[in-house]
Amino acid sequence: MAGLNRRDFLKALGIGSSASVMAACRLDDNRYYTPIEQVLPYVVKPEQITPGTPTFFATSVGTGPNAHTVLARHRDGRVINVGANRRSPMAGIVPTDALFELQRHFSPDRYQAPAKKGGEATDWDAARSELVAGIKAAKSGGKKVAWLGPYASGSIVKLLDDVTDGNAVYWEPLGYEADALAAEKVFGKRVLPGYDLAKAKYIVSFGADFLSGWGGWELANQYAKAKDPNEGGFVARFALVSPYQDQTGANADDWYQCKPGAQAQVALAVAKLVAAKKGYNGPAARLVAAGDPAAAAAASGLGEGDIDAIAAQIVSRDSVVLPGGASGATTAATELAMACFLINVVSGMAGKTFGLGTAYTGPVHSYGDVKALIDAMNAGSIGALLLGDVNPAYALPADSGFAEAVGKVPFVASFSSHPDETNALANVILPVADVFEDWGDEEVHAGLRLLRQPAQSPMYGALSLGDVLLAAARDAGLQAAAAAPVEGEVEGEATEAPAEGEEAAPAVAGPIGFTPATFREYVKAVWKAEYSGANFDQWFSERLADGFMHHDTAIGAAPISAGAPALAGTAAIEGEGEYFLHAYPHPFRKDGRFANQPWAQETPDPMTGMVWDSWVCVNPKTAERMGWSRNDLLELKTAAGSIQVGVEFYPGVREDVLAVAFGQGHAANGRYANGVGANVVSLLSAKADSFGALAWQQAKVAFNKVGTAELVTTIGSDTDQMRMMAPIADADTLAKVGDAESAHPGEMTGIHHLPLDARLHERGAVDFYGMTDHPTYRWGMTVDINACTGCGACSVACYAENNLPVVGKAKVRDGREMGWIRVNRYWGYDEAKPGLPVENRFLPMMCQQCAHAPCESVCPVLATYHTIDGLNAMVYNRCVGTRYCANNCPYIARRFNYHSYVWPEPFNLQLNPDVVTRTMGVMEKCTFCVQRLRSTKSAYRDQGIDRVPDEALEQITACAEACPTDAISFGNLVDPESGVTKHTKSGRAYQVFAELNTMSAVTYLAKASYHRAEDPHHGGGHGEEHGEAGGEHHEPEAHGDAHGGEHAEPAPKAEGAHHEEPAHGADH
Amino acid sequence: MEDKYREANRPATYAAANRDIIRPLLTPTAMWFGAFVLAIAAMLYGGYCWYLQITWGMGVAGIKHPTFWGVYIVTFVFWVGIGHAGTLISAILYLVRSRWRTGVYRASEAMTIFAVMTALLFPALHLGRVWQMYWFFPYPNQRELWMNFKSPLMWDVFAISTYFTISSVFFYVGLVPDMAIVRDHSTGLVKRIYNVLALGWRGTHKQWHSYMAAYGFFAAFAAPLVLSVHSVVSWDFAMANTAGWHSTLFPPYFVAGAIFSGCAMVITLLMPMTILFKWEDYVNTWHFENLAKMCLLTSGILTYSYAMEYFIAWYSQNPYEQYIFWWRTFGEQWWIFATMVFCNCIAPLVWYYRPWRQNWTILFIVSIFVNIGMWFERLNIVASSTSRSFDPSTWDLYWPTAVEWGILIGSAGWFSFWFLLFAKTLPGVAITEIKEMVVPPVKGSLED
Repeated sequence: MAGLNRRDFLKALGIGSSASVMAACRLDDNRYYTPIEQVLPYVVKPEQITPGTPTFFATSVGTGPNAHTVLARHRDGRVINVGANRRSPMAGIVPTDALFELQRHFSPDRYQAPAKKGGEATDWDAARSELVAGIKAAKSGGKKVAWLGPYASGSIVKLLDDVTDGNAVYWEPLGYEADALAAEKVFGKRVLPGYDLAKAKYIVSFGADFLSGWGGWELANQYAKAKDPNEGGFVARFALVSPYQDQTGANADDWYQCKPGAQAQVALAVAKLVAAKKGYNGPAARLVAAGDPAAAAAASGLGEGDIDAIAAQIVSRDSVVLPGGASGATTAATELAMACFLINVVSGMAGKTFGLGTAYTGPVHSYGDVKALIDAMNAGSIGALLLGDVNPAYALPADSGFAEAVGKVPFVASFSSHPDETNALANVILPVADVFEDWGDEEVHAGLRLLRQPAQSPMYGALSLGDVLLAAARDAGLQAAAAAPVEGEVEGEATEAPAEGEEAAPAVAGPIGFTPATFREYVKAVWKAEYSGANFDQWFSERLADGFMHHDTAIGAAPISAGAPALAGTAAIEGEGEYFLHAYPHPFRKDGRFANQPWAQETPDPMTGMVWDSWVCVNPKTAERMGWSRNDLLELKTAAGSIQVGVEFYPGVREDVLAVAFGQGHAANGRYANGVGANVVSLLSAKADSFGALAWQQAKVAFNKVGTAELVTTIGSDTDQMRMMAPIADADTLAKVGDAESAHPGEMTGIHHLPLDARLHERGAVDFYGMTDHPTYRWGMTVDINACTGCGACSVACYAENNLPVVGKAKVRDGREMGWIRVNRYWGYDEAKPGLPVENRFLPMMCQQCAHAPCESVCPVLATYHTIDGLNAMVYNRCVGTRYCANNCPYIARRFNYHSYVWPEPFNLQLNPDVVTRTMGVMEKCTFCVQRLRSTKSAYRDQGIDRVPDEALEQITACAEACPTDAISFGNLVDPESGVTKHTKSGRAYQVFAELNTMSAVTYLAKASYHRAEDPHHGGGHGEEHGEAGGEHHEPEAHGDAHGGEHAEPAPKAEGAHHEEPAHGADH
Repeated sequence: MEDKYREANRPATYAAANRDIIRPLLTPTAMWFGAFVLAIAAMLYGGYCWYLQITWGMGVAGIKHPTFWGVYIVTFVFWVGIGHAGTLISAILYLVRSRWRTGVYRASEAMTIFAVMTALLFPALHLGRVWQMYWFFPYPNQRELWMNFKSPLMWDVFAISTYFTISSVFFYVGLVPDMAIVRDHSTGLVKRIYNVLALGWRGTHKQWHSYMAAYGFFAAFAAPLVLSVHSVVSWDFAMANTAGWHSTLFPPYFVAGAIFSGCAMVITLLMPMTILFKWEDYVNTWHFENLAKMCLLTSGILTYSYAMEYFIAWYSQNPYEQYIFWWRTFGEQWWIFATMVFCNCIAPLVWYYRPWRQNWTILFIVSIFVNIGMWFERLNIVASSTSRSFDPSTWDLYWPTAVEWGILIGSAGWFSFWFLLFAKTLPGVAITEIKEMVVPPVKGSLED
């Protein structure tokens, strides 16, 4: 140490340490999300808010027929999640739409201030005076003020109709226009008929995606009830008549590969056959007389026997027929819907599974109405156009002339809170409060009204649409219309007069006008006008707390209108060549409205696992014929335009059909949507059927290969490679016994499902390690594969609850997606019908919380361990990132933080404060929403209750809460009376990879299929053979691969899957 | 044996041995400097890649789910394997009095130590949070956090740290008399350094007596480690339930593989040294041929093990095992398996023909093949089983990224750095042991 004295040494020490501190700070700023914020206590605490505890607001998301009641979870000034409103008569679920709305609420692309054309920001006062001036100018020029917005019901419709003098058009792309028009023709009312799938034993869909939100999420819930083997002694059979199996169609027991355009003919033929078989000779007989099974068979490519079989199934038991949705919207869209309605009528199901009593009666306009508005704009009779949160500039075919027509309107205001292609056409954008910030109400059907209330104060000072309109109407000196409907430019608005007048007729006390100061007052006034009891304010706040008002309503009859036209049912598909274009709504992105929500892009597509892209589904046989391989880039061409999409092999599509989803290819919708994928609407022209419903299925398509695409999928194999991950139970056998306790649990699955030690105990042997001790709780989960429809709601809900980062397309390609619960999709095949995928299965896969967890023993630093409640806990802070645990997890349920991810502001406001965000180098995984379990346990313990009751646990996890079909249930396995414990004793209960002796806490319930008993190889119940673990049990799976092998690896050996002797298990 | 050695070392005298073996320690050549700079450059590049990985996270590597382990683990096992030959040769062959070890054991021991040092880098390189690596060790802390002794990774920590300690001490013990020789042949500062390193060795009878006892003791201590360390490493895989890993075959199979790769690496390293440093008098065809024979034996064991894995997969009726072994052979990455089989099972077969076994060119080329093949063997094990995990939905393929390759290059640079330093500073052949083999000089004819 010569030459260095004490003083210098201390200096050097000081410099060295401050340098290292500085370096650390820099690293911190760059790499981690460490918000610097001041924590200040409330001086005066708001009554409802307790810092650190959530407050729930009953509200509703979705508009019009898609509205669903939910609980907004408010925490410290912001909405952080959406939960199920289980008090309501609607299904206690969380629609994926609600979660996407939540993310949209916090989107960084959301407008923070009103804007003028060209994007120049302005302030609310200026924008509002511009709006008033625009309306005044229109009125003084003798021109009309028109509204074009999404479906809506309740008070806002009343207000909009008043503001626009009835010139309000409520239209959505891929909407219900064909159904509304069909109901108008057949039943004389433009309504959306109500369905009750729960009562049906045979469900036919002509393409409607009712398991991903079509007709409201209620239908998916009813579907699961129909499939429930414990109810009605029958497992409903689901038939799909469509050229394409979307996520909904993939659940079908029978897939009738109808040629595009022939659905209406098939439906009409079925209607005629059903009428004949039923001996129906009511007023509908005349309407279906043109049905011709032979011609329909010829046109559709189905056998006459198939059509007859559908009809026979319909008459043989309670049934329901659902129309085509956007997938069935050919140039005979309305006729298809009419034929479907008529089948329900002639089969005698009106009043049971189908009826107008629970019909949606809000305004549903068709493309014909939009076209009339476009014509009026072109004619110069519209002086001011007000645009709601609908995006026709993106979703309408270019030759509809929408954009040009808007250019001819002197004043265009948009009320969308997010940028989109249509907003770019507006003179002024007033980004109003969104669904979590505003007041409102919806009428789902007569007898069920939902309320909407702000769950947080509006971000960026956004104003309520109702408030803005009320003030503008007053300032512009508008006069509210009289109670009688005003004759307007737009045809068909007669039905949009508030239909609840019929229901609560005595209470209508005249128009409310524009007098209420706020829209909240307006909604109250509307409700008050229909309320006849005393003490309205108290009643209303009770309704507000509930989120709904309900009285039981019968599904009602469906009387045929005298003037109903007879059907012909033919559709024209134009274009050259032999390949049809099939455009279908995406289960997440829908018509494109959620394309800018990262969750809607990153959650893998249920059927293909694709993320952040558009792709074309090609039957593998077609691909083989054309010499295409996966990921080839195709250019698809029609007369209207062309798009480029990558090829995905997809057995669920007809060989002459190329299917592309709607909703991508945005140009001006925000940073996450722009330039992602291709917009299939570019291939379409504005063609409507003879009733005015837009035909989304209209063209044949030409194509050529132009290169290689960069599709990214999360699905590694098309089948389960005979690994019995999702075995099948025979539906008839299952329906007889349901999930009653079985002497041999799992006997119907054909695999040994029992935890190893139980089997060893049967043989008098003892497991080397013994069972972990769980004195009070062992958290367990049951997933009913029979109810799971693959909708992905669980995955999205997990993203919302557990602060899962979105990593983007490139990182998903690199295998870094962070989803804690994924939905495995396995194509299934029926040997009797080669090439037809009919036993498709969805298998939600999350951490199985094994009692003998392979991950726990290998962690060198004990970062993961088994809790006394049976959870496989993960201590993020302790993790050093060896990733041994993830390697050793047979379920690959663990996710590694390959990077530190940052939530762009204000997405960070959505983060759940109860769940830590993880940084790079740390392993993470599902822990059954342990934060919810802990808070619930604490809450009960505070009340002196040591064991949380089963009811409070059943849907406690985010995935179980969200699941639209209640396929996921949760509970305490120590409690012999809990639902999950009972499930483990079902004849169809099994555990995935039970032979590895992981003793998982997740029990799966096998899917029921009608394709087992028919095949001599399958044999129905395996119950009698239990214990003879011979070669027979596995055979049901063995043949699945014969077809699956087209793009799956052939397995080394076709026999012996999963049939080791019990003692073979791992870890001995 | 004695005759053969004499024949092979005709000109050897004590003086020649001193001169020849110390010669490389003199002024470095341009070639050495070039190699040294290259090694440092590779290290720096690897360090830069590691910096990227620490800054941006493990995402810069190619690992993904379901393949959470990649070339870091592959290369870790590779270097640990390499590190087996040295101790095998120096300890076990010493205990069984196999005399051909004399010429090669110093270099192979050095190789062992540097290989283990290189291997020790990889657990760190592989960690998601390397800055918390000290949690692997049982350090006292107030939170009373302890490690998980059930984890095979923990066993690794102990096995490899023990091995590193023992083999380093053994290496040093063997060096002491040679240090004294170097000390006696040097001047100035160098002499002072070697003076310290020689621990006061004077070559007295008592010193020799103690020395031989200590050497035997450490040899006996190190010998079982040769077998245990790679067995423990193999348990990283064998204790996991992953198909293709979960096998009792792994420990012997890994040990055989380790010796195989280690002996091949000794050929690869020592042959250029011998030629460059003109050590043909001390290291020659006889040694290399014996190393090749070791390789032949272990190659046979490996081939048998590979075959046994397939037999077990078939015989077990375990569909996951069966699939993995089918996929390794015929799946997308079949060429990894093919490379492994060619390099490890087929290429060494040429050594069954004696003239080829004695041909230095062929010896060298085949040893390179073996090095490649053994790396691919570990890749075949690590990447295939994980990318075809139990749940087919998760299947994906693994391939390293540029950062991973960069770190591999860096690790090779690290090894070369130490080995080059060794070649320049320590006697590459055990001088004192060589002298034991030399015909004792007639009194009076000594040069010194």
